[in-house]
Amino acid sequence: MTHTLHRLGNTENLSDDYVVFAMSAKGFNEDGSAAPMLKFLEICLEFDPINMGDMKTGNILKTNKEDIYNNIQDVSIVHAVYKDEATVAALLKQVKEADLGISVVVSGLLNKVKEMGESAGLKQHTVNCSGGVWGDMDKLPSQEVLQVTTMCGHGMVASNLVDYYATRIRKGRITADEAAKKLGEPCVCGVFNTERAAKLLQAMADHGSDGHMMQAGLTMTAEDL
Amino acid sequence: MKIDQDTCIACKKCIPVCPVNAILFEKSEKIVFIDDEQCVECGVCYRIGVCPTDSFMEDELVWPRSIRAGLSNPLLVDPRTRIPGRGTEEMKTNDITGRFKPGYLGIAVEMGRPGTGASFVDIEKVAQAIAKHGVAFCPENPVTFLMTDKRTGKINPEVMNERVLSGIIEFELPVEKADAVLKEIIKVSDEIDTVFSLDVISYVGDEEEPPMLEIMRQAGISPSPNGKNNMGLGRPEYAF
Repeated sequence: MTHTLHRLGNTENLSDDYVVFAMSAKGFNEDGSAAPMLKFLEICLEFDPINMGDMKTGNILKTNKEDIYNNIQDVSIVHAVYKDEATVAALLKQVKEADLGISVVVSGLLNKVKEMGESAGLKQHTVNCSGGVWGDMDKLPSQEVLQVTTMCGHGMVASNLVDYYATRIRKGRITADEAAKKLGEPCVCGVFNTERAAKLLQAMADHGSDGHMMQAGLTMTAEDL
Repeated sequence: MKIDQDTCIACKKCIPVCPVNAILFEKSEKIVFIDDEQCVECGVCYRIGVCPTDSFMEDELVWPRSIRAGLSNPLLVDPRTRIPGRGTEEMKTNDITGRFKPGYLGIAVEMGRPGTGASFVDIEKVAQAIAKHGVAFCPENPVTFLMTDKRTGKINPEVMNERVLSGIIEFELPVEKADAVLKEIIKVSDEIDTVFSLDVISYVGDEEEPPMLEIMRQAGISPSPNGKNNMGLGRPEYAF
């Protein structure tokens, strides 16, 4: 499971995209980890995440913070999404002071995460870096669509749905913010950055992409949108 | 997954929801149906509540089709690793486990990602190319569980007709082997009928830059500017 890796984009539009999450290690510190996980969740909530979730319960777009809190288990993996470095640095400092003993991972621009860690008195222990996408690239949708869909690393946000909403935004039938939240619903972990998605969707709508869905020859029509 | 044709009103709202384009509309009969071959049983159409008549029906999956859901539905927990998603902890807990050690790299080839899906024919093709270099496939990984021979990367023939949203081939190797293996992975990428996303993992230790970045550049791979960072907050249960 590398569900927060491979978020495609450029350094500019990835600079407001940071995912922080915690998990226990199976066979090591799993038993009793619900208590430190709850504390981690409380700290995350203090910093007002854009989105969040636990796979045991779902994301805050489909459920709510209280349900996530009340269903924390030893096997929970709590995720929270933030848009700025200062917030993540402050969060890390607080998590360090809480001395929870569970693993905490930050996904984002490597050099920025390094700086955030240093400001909180932390150093990267281990890094997982994306080496990009390889193979038959003709099978992929456009880069602008991939920048949205790859924010759900489990692949639950369909590329056709991105085009569908971009077209609806262009037609004035939904706002970019509303569309981003709808797109984030299938991402059960809550790692889909709805604010970044809204910006990307608005850009797609503004330059009038007709959409991969039509190109793929699927049987949706303009009247269906 | 199935669509109940008695209740479906063919409104087509579900069509764009499918990550692998497995929900189709048959114009002549005016029905919406699921292409069983293409469907990877991720369950998103069922869960997301897009259908106004609740016409999606989850099949009771039996082996080997059940492997589709196991490697596509993020809510399913692998019973052996007890991890949801695609069932691997990789570097997320390395500050506790010490699995990725100095002088070693972890590499994962995420077949079918992003959003394309992969057949086990392609998964085996890549696994066998990698296996020639004598790497150690991760034992706690759902794709490794499917290997009938971990030295060759041979996959259980029973699953060869199955497709999954993403299967992760995951292994560790000494840094000395990394260049040859990364080049092998690039080479085999020209021979598959899908895509994969490539992950490279290393312990940072006292290094100023994560050691794998230069290794990737040397092999002709541009490291992405973003990645996953284990921040070392877990209590270590290893010594190196």
